[in-house]
Amino acid sequence: MEDNLFISNFRHMVIKKIIINVLIITIIVFILDFSIGKTLRYFYFKETSGLHYRTTYSFDSTKAEVLIFGGSRANRHYVPQVFEDSLNMSFYNTGRDGNGIFYQISLLKSILKRYTPKVIVLDYVGGFEYDAESYDRMSSILPYYGSHEEIRKTIESKSPYEKVKLISQIYPFNSKILTIAIGNMEINKKREIDDKGYVPLFTTWNEKIDSQNIELINDIDSNKINAFRDFLILSKKSNIKVFVVFSPIYLKMKNTPGIEICYNLCSSEKIPFWNFSEDTLFQNNNKLFSDIQHMNNNGAIIFSKIICEKIKNSYQYSSIKK
Amino acid sequence: MVFTSLNFLIFFPFLIILYWIIPNKNRWILLLISSYFFYINLKPVFALLLAGVTLSTYFFTSLINQNDSDSRKKMYMRINIMLILLPLFFFKYFSTINNEIFNLLEWLHIRWPLPEIKLILPIGISFYTFMAIGYTIDVYNEDVEFEKNIGILALFVSFFPLILSGPIERAKNMIPQFKSNKKIDYNMVSEGFKLMLWGYFMKLVVADRMDIYVDAVFKNISHHNGTSLFYASLLYPFQMYADLGGYSLIAIGTSKILGINVMHNFNRPFSATSMSEFWRRWHISLITWLTDYVYTPLSFNLRKYKIGGIIISLMFTFLISGVWHGATLNFIFWGLIQGMFLSFEALTIKKKELLETRYNLKKKFLYTIGGISFTFILFAFSQVFSKVSNLSDAFVVYYKIFTTSGSLFIGQPSTFIFSILGLLMLLLKDFTDEFTPEKFLLFNNKSKMVRILSFSIIIIIILLIGVFDGGQFIYFQF
Repeated sequence: MEDNLFISNFRHMVIKKIIINVLIITIIVFILDFSIGKTLRYFYFKETSGLHYRTTYSFDSTKAEVLIFGGSRANRHYVPQVFEDSLNMSFYNTGRDGNGIFYQISLLKSILKRYTPKVIVLDYVGGFEYDAESYDRMSSILPYYGSHEEIRKTIESKSPYEKVKLISQIYPFNSKILTIAIGNMEINKKREIDDKGYVPLFTTWNEKIDSQNIELINDIDSNKINAFRDFLILSKKSNIKVFVVFSPIYLKMKNTPGIEICYNLCSSEKIPFWNFSEDTLFQNNNKLFSDIQHMNNNGAIIFSKIICEKIKNSYQYSSIKK
Repeated sequence: MVFTSLNFLIFFPFLIILYWIIPNKNRWILLLISSYFFYINLKPVFALLLAGVTLSTYFFTSLINQNDSDSRKKMYMRINIMLILLPLFFFKYFSTINNEIFNLLEWLHIRWPLPEIKLILPIGISFYTFMAIGYTIDVYNEDVEFEKNIGILALFVSFFPLILSGPIERAKNMIPQFKSNKKIDYNMVSEGFKLMLWGYFMKLVVADRMDIYVDAVFKNISHHNGTSLFYASLLYPFQMYADLGGYSLIAIGTSKILGINVMHNFNRPFSATSMSEFWRRWHISLITWLTDYVYTPLSFNLRKYKIGGIIISLMFTFLISGVWHGATLNFIFWGLIQGMFLSFEALTIKKKELLETRYNLKKKFLYTIGGISFTFILFAFSQVFSKVSNLSDAFVVYYKIFTTSGSLFIGQPSTFIFSILGLLMLLLKDFTDEFTPEKFLLFNNKSKMVRILSFSIIIIIILLIGVFDGGQFIYFQF
């Protein structure tokens, strides 16, 4: 009996000691997380150049009449000067490296809370199949979770525990500390040219054109389809003229299931879809590319002029003029 | 349920509380339920395979136990080994065999491509199959007693911290612990948390960050120059170490918190000064398993060939190790290269020791550093075979390393800088633990304040620069 009491007391003491230590560590981590997270938030929104700055500007400040949406290809393929001169409207390129339709729909919702642009060019990013990376990439909009209610639902589709993870103040800024530091430095403005969101490339791709058989590996992701459709519907409802574009690529693609899906979605919403994936003007000229995915500045200027002409010739554009 | 998922971090604290509240006699049942719950949530159908391996092992080891005739015992052991190896061979080598048959059909012009059927490898199959084989051989050799309680045997095969990537444990160590009367021990729990935390650091801060760079280079071999391929080849062993080593530490820590001691899987491998020492420090559970069940019996049978027998045994053991990792030629080549390294060392060991004694080399700093560097370079270069998808790619990598140069691919500068930072922290800890074990203690510092702050800062570093959306553990594919 005495033994049992001793064992019970001993066990009680051990558990108490473990709980106290876990509590102390939790409190310290909480304090550090709060203070470091808040500091990172402060400096994130104080950035004056770079990727984060362009994202914040797209979410919170731009009032441009023409907006470009998309990933890194959008970011490198649409030249502001060409659009402004040709369409006589203000322009901003919101394209962000590595981000897909979840980023674009979140951004559109946030922009529409502030104002209504006149023209949107959505550069088709491709891939409607499920891949975990598309959800992971939403980490780029986590800093806006708290201040933009309209994007919360999209972010929460990232994982069932996203809300729990966002209790941490550091989590939205995970892996961003260096970019935040650099974004607050003056030198960064010289490091990367940022012309109204457009980030030009100046190198030339010297290799022969490759061919690739695009196959669906995973199932089609209904979240992506819905987000894409929502993007088109929301733009249409807001009276924005939307054009979906597959900009040139230095790759001969066989079998492109994503393009077919994109085409069907656009035609069901009566939105023009311009596919340049097989345009020989670009595919026969490696000098217009910087790598297989991205055109260089020369290619982007030629392409932007073509797009502007197509916009001007479209019936949607004539309704803007009216 | 994977250690790096939030599901696990929610599941585990509940398990700890429940485990230490319930009476000792019921704890193994809770662990068994948790293990199957853990596994079923990965892919329910594969739990049937796991149960099948357990049932087969139980049935045949009971026959081994009941029979007195050695020939019959041997027959039952062999039947069980063959039976439980069948699913491993089928799932693991399905694609390779498939491709070879397709190639043959194409060669015969009778290939008619139909929609492909995708078959996924049951996760952890290589690990639990080896554990079940080890137990079967141990029962046959009478190294362990036949376990009458099928539940305990099922727990040994499916124990959730180990099932996905090891360490490949032995029945002799685990089964008595499942049955023993356990009391909660502060030091063990605290040690468990420390190991888990460092494991998370290794996986999330080091391995997954490096993976971004290494994968970017190795998945595009044709687009990268020799400089980048050389750098990525040097990083890959560190990534492997941080990945499997990190997983192992989380597994060992998880078990410790539940009062169960599991063998260590790594012992600061990059401090090794020779390949034979390296293989005593790297993936210890697999190597000791292969030593006990393949190398030792084989070298005993070949003892009349003296050093020749040892070399044949070494080559064969590492060939098995290569095949265990994958059925492709590059893994076989990888295994043979390791066997060659060790054979060369076995042939020259006496001369080397003589030189070391004569010139007191082991105490010379430069000799140690030279040995560490040379061993690392040998291992890193052989690992190229395990990283690429086929043998010709490996040769392309070597060719480019020696014939092309140019500027180093940096990719995302933050990825590059974070991976270097993480690696330096990892190596700093490993080298201080190896060469100055009593100094620079953080987790084990005498001051409670230092210990607690170390814990907290590591958590903050993980939050700041850990990769939360990273890939799976590398060894899940094996």
